[in-house]
Amino acid sequence: MDSDRRRDSRSWDWDSPQCRAQVDEIFFRRHDYIQAGSTEHKEFWTFFDRFQRFKIKKDVSESGAKEDIEDRRKTGTGKVDLGLPKEYDARYRINVSVCTRDVEERLGKSEHRGRQRSSGPGSHEISDCRLTLLHFLDFSQRQSFGKLAKLRREQKSLPIFQYRDRIVELVRLNPVVVVAGDTGCGKSTQVPQYLLSAGFNHIACTQPRRIACISLAKRVSFESLNQYGSKVGYQIRFETTRTPSTKLLFLTEGLLLRQIQQDKTLSQYQVLIVDEVHERHLHCDFLLGVLRSLLADHPDLRLILMSATINIKLFSDYFNSAPVLQVPGRLFPIQVIYQPIPPDEQASRLEKLDPRPYLRVLQGIDQRYPPEERGDLLLFLSGVAEISTIQEACQVYATHTRRWIVLPLHSTLSLVQQDKVFDTSPPGVRKCIISTNIAETSVTIDGVRFVVDSGKVKEMSFDPKAKMQRLQEFWISRASSEQRKGRAGRTGPGVCYRLYAESDYDAFAPYPVPEIHRVALDSLILQMKSMCLGDPLSFVFIDPPPTASIQTAVTYLKEQGALDSRAELTSIGTLLAQLPVDVVIGKMLVLGSLFNLVDPVLTVAAALSVQSPFLRSSQHNPDCATARQPLQSNHGDPFTLLNTFNAWVEVKGERGGGSRKWCRRRGLEEQRLYEMVNLRRQFKDLLRSHGLLESQSSAPSGGDRGQRRERLTERKKLHQLKRDHEKQESSRRKVLRLDEGQDGEFSSGSDAEGAGRGKKDKEGAGQNMDIQEVKFKLRHNVSELQEAASVSQDMSSRQQALLKLLLCRGLFPQLALPDEHNSTRKDSDQVFHTRNKQGVVIHPTSVFASDPEVLQVPEDATREMGPERRDSTRHQLLAFVTLLETNKPYLSNCVRVPALQALLLVANSVDSNADCTRLVVDGWLELELREPDEALKVLSTALTLRAEWERLLLAQLGQSTMAGAEVQRVSRKVLEKLSEGLVRFLLYTEITYSLRRLTAFQTQNLYIGPQSQSEPSHTKDVNPLFPGVEAKPDPIKGGLRVSGFFNYNCLVDSKDLYSECLRSFWTCPNCDLYMPLTPLERMQHEASCRPAGEQQQPEEEPEGGKAASSSMSSLTRVYHCDVCNEDLTLTSTEILKHKRQHMYSAK
Amino acid sequence: MEQTTIEQKTFACQLCGLSSPFTYYGQKPPNTRAIVLLEECFVTQDPFSPDKEKFLVLGSTCSLCSMCVCVGSDCSLFYTKRFCMQCVNKHLDQFPHQIQAELAKKKHSSKAAVS
Ligand SMILES: [Zn+2]
Ligand SMILES: [Zn+2]
Repeated sequence: MDSDRRRDSRSWDWDSPQCRAQVDEIFFRRHDYIQAGSTEHKEFWTFFDRFQRFKIKKDVSESGAKEDIEDRRKTGTGKVDLGLPKEYDARYRINVSVCTRDVEERLGKSEHRGRQRSSGPGSHEISDCRLTLLHFLDFSQRQSFGKLAKLRREQKSLPIFQYRDRIVELVRLNPVVVVAGDTGCGKSTQVPQYLLSAGFNHIACTQPRRIACISLAKRVSFESLNQYGSKVGYQIRFETTRTPSTKLLFLTEGLLLRQIQQDKTLSQYQVLIVDEVHERHLHCDFLLGVLRSLLADHPDLRLILMSATINIKLFSDYFNSAPVLQVPGRLFPIQVIYQPIPPDEQASRLEKLDPRPYLRVLQGIDQRYPPEERGDLLLFLSGVAEISTIQEACQVYATHTRRWIVLPLHSTLSLVQQDKVFDTSPPGVRKCIISTNIAETSVTIDGVRFVVDSGKVKEMSFDPKAKMQRLQEFWISRASSEQRKGRAGRTGPGVCYRLYAESDYDAFAPYPVPEIHRVALDSLILQMKSMCLGDPLSFVFIDPPPTASIQTAVTYLKEQGALDSRAELTSIGTLLAQLPVDVVIGKMLVLGSLFNLVDPVLTVAAALSVQSPFLRSSQHNPDCATARQPLQSNHGDPFTLLNTFNAWVEVKGERGGGSRKWCRRRGLEEQRLYEMVNLRRQFKDLLRSHGLLESQSSAPSGGDRGQRRERLTERKKLHQLKRDHEKQESSRRKVLRLDEGQDGEFSSGSDAEGAGRGKKDKEGAGQNMDIQEVKFKLRHNVSELQEAASVSQDMSSRQQALLKLLLCRGLFPQLALPDEHNSTRKDSDQVFHTRNKQGVVIHPTSVFASDPEVLQVPEDATREMGPERRDSTRHQLLAFVTLLETNKPYLSNCVRVPALQALLLVANSVDSNADCTRLVVDGWLELELREPDEALKVLSTALTLRAEWERLLLAQLGQSTMAGAEVQRVSRKVLEKLSEGLVRFLLYTEITYSLRRLTAFQTQNLYIGPQSQSEPSHTKDVNPLFPGVEAKPDPIKGGLRVSGFFNYNCLVDSKDLYSECLRSFWTCPNCDLYMPLTPLERMQHEASCRPAGEQQQPEEEPEGGKAASSSMSSLTRVYHCDVCNEDLTLTSTEILKHKRQHMYSAK
Repeated sequence: MEQTTIEQKTFACQLCGLSSPFTYYGQKPPNTRAIVLLEECFVTQDPFSPDKEKFLVLGSTCSLCSMCVCVGSDCSLFYTKRFCMQCVNKHLDQFPHQIQAELAKKKHSSKAAVS
């Protein structure tokens, strides 16, 4: 038999690829269990080689070892005969067989082997291969089963496992249960599974972080062996794997709130699990409040709060003393060493952090612990600046000792950089991870043995008075301190160095300040309003936010037009409350959908919702700066982002994967651009689902059948690539190089990188790039995107102006005024003022930080009118997205807009004097216009434009709430006319004025106040500028409230409205009216008088301001004349004439 | 012959307590092509393979005592048929010496680990 085999192998070579391919043709065909080319197939051949070697060895050692099995068998008399074969064969231990007709036929041909020899494998080879295949299958089965058994053992060994039945029982008996257990007890993964297997259906489990929803859904689905398949899913802001058969859903807190907003009964769920309640996120606190009131009406609903062992009583008490189940954590002992920083090494507020205390810890570890004992160091600092200071110092030490790899970790790092903390270090070298509090809860790194805790954290706080976010450094709480310490004991005993005294620790607050006390509550209040939760001030929060914060939010929402004066939702507010985006972003989207600017608005809204793609580390790299230059727009940062996105889409269309290099050269984090493109698409769907965007007329899949098939094949290939990637994904972590930390953060970001590093990037990140590219191609239609990009790339200056206006209206009231002395200051000292905060500066990343001249009023365009007054036609304002105070108050993401024009079109209140030469906007900006005639004209135009804009917007919103009311869509012609008017107003209004910020003193004596009823007849019957709206005396400011925002003649310096001296003869350019009129009367006439034939030829309109139109019928209204005692149907002008008739006759 | 896929049933080993849902019971799991099982098995989709079409045998019934056992080597042994470990020990003498030696060795090493 052996000689037989040897003879065969002379003509059949198992090592030859051709021979193997022939075998593949028999065993691994396309429809077989294992297919040629697959991962398993590769593994099989590796196994084959090993198995053959093993067999030869065994054959040799076992030859002649046949024993007297027969004898042994006989000893088992009196018992059952198992009927086992006489001769041992490992094959008998495999419970699988492989049989196909192909294989059987070939085996049958053994007699003709001689003839078949040359054409392929003989029966021997076939049976060899089949045997190996059986062993391979058995091997894979054992491997997988081993993993399963291990998984089950791990599940059983989790601390929470012992409480399995108790938890189920508690949930059955109580409406609310609190499960408290520390990290590692297994509550997040196990509790939902316990409930599922106990027969609960429709379970929702909320998470504060999106990423946790995805990973938990994956993990639980895996642990339950995909038993539930699609029955375990996740749903995050715009992404879901949920199906009608989903039984367990992981979702974000915000999303569950949205669902409650739509369905107050929440009947779709049987059990709600709110995880990580101790983190006290805004949404979580609010969610608890909502659920608390909801539970009363739904006795069948079950609620489980899961928390770390922090402040458990608070939660239990809030829910009527709900039962608490406390699970011990699984932490190894941790030694705590207090090493307070000596006074001479403590940094004062403005100095850099002194690295010596941190270096001492590193040295101490090197002295005390042999390098063979593994264990990394995790160092907690408060912020990015602190991290880079300490990183620099530690790197010097690391380079010297060659025992450390220093890695930073914070959220503004590129993802590749962040990911490095999970890689392993070579033997004898420790990782030193310098992190913000991101590693306290969000990111878990295994293998940490030493923790250094600075005791500091930078936290956002909100100043309701200045309407400003503030990032300040604080001492952490005892709870955070314990959390940080715990990071050292996850995989073994650890050490925690606290760089503060034990007495400091004792003085720490017990818990961190909940988010609801630290942030602006705009979105929260808006949502509360739309959920009809009554007065936000009386809502029972677990820990009520400061009253001032709620009031500021209400005021702000009023300013933004989301709430009306009685704090009820407006129609735009109702819509905004449904959009899961920031109020300002939502406003932009809604406004953009009205005009033909959807594409750029979608891009800008998406860009402003993700982190900036511009890497801070590349900012000072001259190569990057040069490469970025063409992308920059001096109109503002949103335009730079728009350009960047469009250019990137262009590159993706042309070069596909080459975009990575393109990004690197410009210091761009491509991941952010991928996020943008996804978000952009989701915004688009959002607008569509709210009826604000026409649904796509036809599917984008045009082309003939051939092209379609091609696309289909392409997609199949992409899907395969994605699957392949997923297979490899989690499999291996890289080993870091000793000099890893040195480049990293400080690397140029350009192509000219160190050779060694460049190579690694190509291997590691190269793969990463491919998968991103693949996902991108799967999700998006590149040519469609390109089309959209080229549309916004070729934007005319008119469209650009309109986009600017939309952004400005969206961002309103977030406006800043350049300081009047900026032109005499250095570039870096430019100062701005917002309504609530003086002396803010532009963030260095903004285009206006490097190019501040574009914001200054050109010298030649100004005329000095005394010491305080500079007249110009070119004043500008900045609309900004964020105002955040770190070491200074910074404005980020700014757009510049022409001041007067923008204010008249977006401001909430414009107050004037009698001849409209002095305007006060929103109570803080004063504009003085030189020419009364021009002032009247510009004001009157603005009034008309705004009224029309408002009308169309409401029409658009109104129809969006009515399903399928496409017919009523605002006509394109009317829209084009409006946008034409707006653009003309923005670009071509030439009017000389001064602009300044009112002082606190000046704002006190601004208004004349309510007037005595001396002249009731005048004020009562004055016609509104807009038919249907009555002009009423303003009860607070005085003067006449002419439209929603315009208050005429209420400023103190005003002269009397009807005093004859203000009446001057005026000729209407449109009709033959020639009469002495007051400014108000003139505006009224202008608002209603249209040039002859305007309806027919609107384009030939001579005047810039008459763009907007209303139908003729709306110009007339019923007017009751007290003198005639008669109802008359007249236009405003006719009413005016009619009244004048009485006035003169009375005299 | 063809068994229908049963959903949501749980397989539990009567010796070690390992439990897991199974999707199929029989000798010809779906999508296995030329592969046939030599005993009636509790089968699930292999959760460790990214390929959704791979199967995983969880266990089967002992050919002697009909006890439900997992395929883990502590609980059962397959030698032309499935035997639970209790039955194997009872009839150890009928098994070939290779298996006997193997079991003895395992017993020894697990004892060593305990002590
Ligand atoms: Zn078992
Ligand atoms: Zn048995």
